[in-house]
Amino acid sequence: MLETANLMVFYENALALNDFSMSVQPGQVVAIIGSNSAGKTTLMNTLSGLIIDTKIKEQRKGGERITIYGSVKYDGEDITELYPNERVKRGMVLCRERHPIFPESDLMENLRIAGYLRKRSEVEETIRYFFHLFPTLDRLRMRKAGFLSGGEQQMLALGMALAAKPRLLLLDEPLLGLSPIMQKSLVDAIRTIREETGLTIVITEQFARPILPMIDHGYVIENGMLTLEGSGADLMDNPEVKAAYFGV
Amino acid sequence: MLEVTLIYGFINSVILALIALGFSLTFSISGVSNFAYGALFILAGYMVWIFVNLLSIPFAVAAILSVLLTALLGAGLYRFVLLRLRGLVISEVIATFGVGLAILEFFRYLGWTGFEYTLPVFTDGSVMIGNTYIDHQRLWIVGAGTSLAVGLYLFTHYTKVGLAFRGIAQDERTALTLGVNTDRIAGISVAFGAGLAATAAILILPRGTIAVNEGYDVLVNALAVCIIGGLGSTAGVVAASFMLGYAQMFTDSYLGPHWKMIVPLIAILLILAVRPSGLFGKQKELEERI
Repeated sequence: MLETANLMVFYENALALNDFSMSVQPGQVVAIIGSNSAGKTTLMNTLSGLIIDTKIKEQRKGGERITIYGSVKYDGEDITELYPNERVKRGMVLCRERHPIFPESDLMENLRIAGYLRKRSEVEETIRYFFHLFPTLDRLRMRKAGFLSGGEQQMLALGMALAAKPRLLLLDEPLLGLSPIMQKSLVDAIRTIREETGLTIVITEQFARPILPMIDHGYVIENGMLTLEGSGADLMDNPEVKAAYFGV
Repeated sequence: MLEVTLIYGFINSVILALIALGFSLTFSISGVSNFAYGALFILAGYMVWIFVNLLSIPFAVAAILSVLLTALLGAGLYRFVLLRLRGLVISEVIATFGVGLAILEFFRYLGWTGFEYTLPVFTDGSVMIGNTYIDHQRLWIVGAGTSLAVGLYLFTHYTKVGLAFRGIAQDERTALTLGVNTDRIAGISVAFGAGLAATAAILILPRGTIAVNEGYDVLVNALAVCIIGGLGSTAGVVAASFMLGYAQMFTDSYLGPHWKMIVPLIAILLILAVRPSGLFGKQKELEERI
């Protein structure tokens, strides 16, 4: 479904991703594990096309500092240079790190803005599903999103990504900054989404412990380079992964 | 005296709201600044004048045509000037203000001033409310202004494009990840604001002659309303229009008409000194959490 081949991304001279190849099969949940500055967000921005937007904006202002080599293929189509909204149309949706929401709109409006490309009926359906996933948010429908707690904002951000009707969902550090209890309910929600909808998901994380049990395949990335890959169980048993990414 | 002031204060307030709506739509709702706003307002007026007087096009057709053309011009302004500057607010302001200057000063250079440069009223005549005469055009202004404000509120809250406007104003990157073509939506918002400027011009200009200087006044008034109301809310625009509108009218009645023009300037200074986010502005600090 998704395939990257020898992906390299430079910010000026700095190499953020180095020869990175990965593949995701339909229905899989795949994790990218890495510490800060490993290149996780660069990878997600490259997959979702945000980096193309940044690149174009820089070019318009007269700079050219982002270089991408290699390719990203989605459903067999080369989308390396495709603009982000075109990728969303094809069903590839990114939920950025640090709960990206519209703080001045209320919760419901956030979900409706997120359903921009989809039919109204589809959006309403997703909204019902969202409250089925997170019943605790039901009473906060009219709350301004900026006044929600960090965990609630992350739930909302996940719901907004769902409202864009993804076939492939990219989650950039969904557990960042959340309490263990919040982390658990989010992981549970992601697991439920997977079981009930069969959605293909790519997750990046710093700490592997909460998500490794539910993934099919994982990649460990360091300084932009792939250092290790394997099934969830393989990675769980790997002493290096334990030492570096279990937060113990 | 008081009755006249109250009624004309109301009308003046609606006029301010009408002027500010388009500016507010582009500047505060979708986050793109268009300081050529006053110039587009005057340009739309001259456009109608040219259509009616030089090309003998019927007024109704001329009016619609000028709204569409001004909107198109707004889209062009976005495509060829603003697109490269998006996100650099100061550059957006300087560039669009520059374009506005060029348009307005071009008309000054042409020397298009005087009593022949007027637009026709929609319908002639007047009505009595209490002991005050009100001409039909002012009633048209009140009717159109009210429906535009309500329409704009509904548009930004219940349509896909309107919601996308609100989205890109708050977080462009997030909107981008949800499939909003942010460049296109921003362009549409500038076009929309320009179209509203033209609509306001066609309604308001028949009260007097088309004058280049009014282009600057329109911009100052629109800015004042947006600053007082606080950026980002249609309700704030309406409330601020009424405050400023009545303040102007009372100043006019009790201090004299020549003091009227400094009311918005004083209001801007006061608000910036006392409550810079505006009366209904969002307290951004509180809402940004990481």
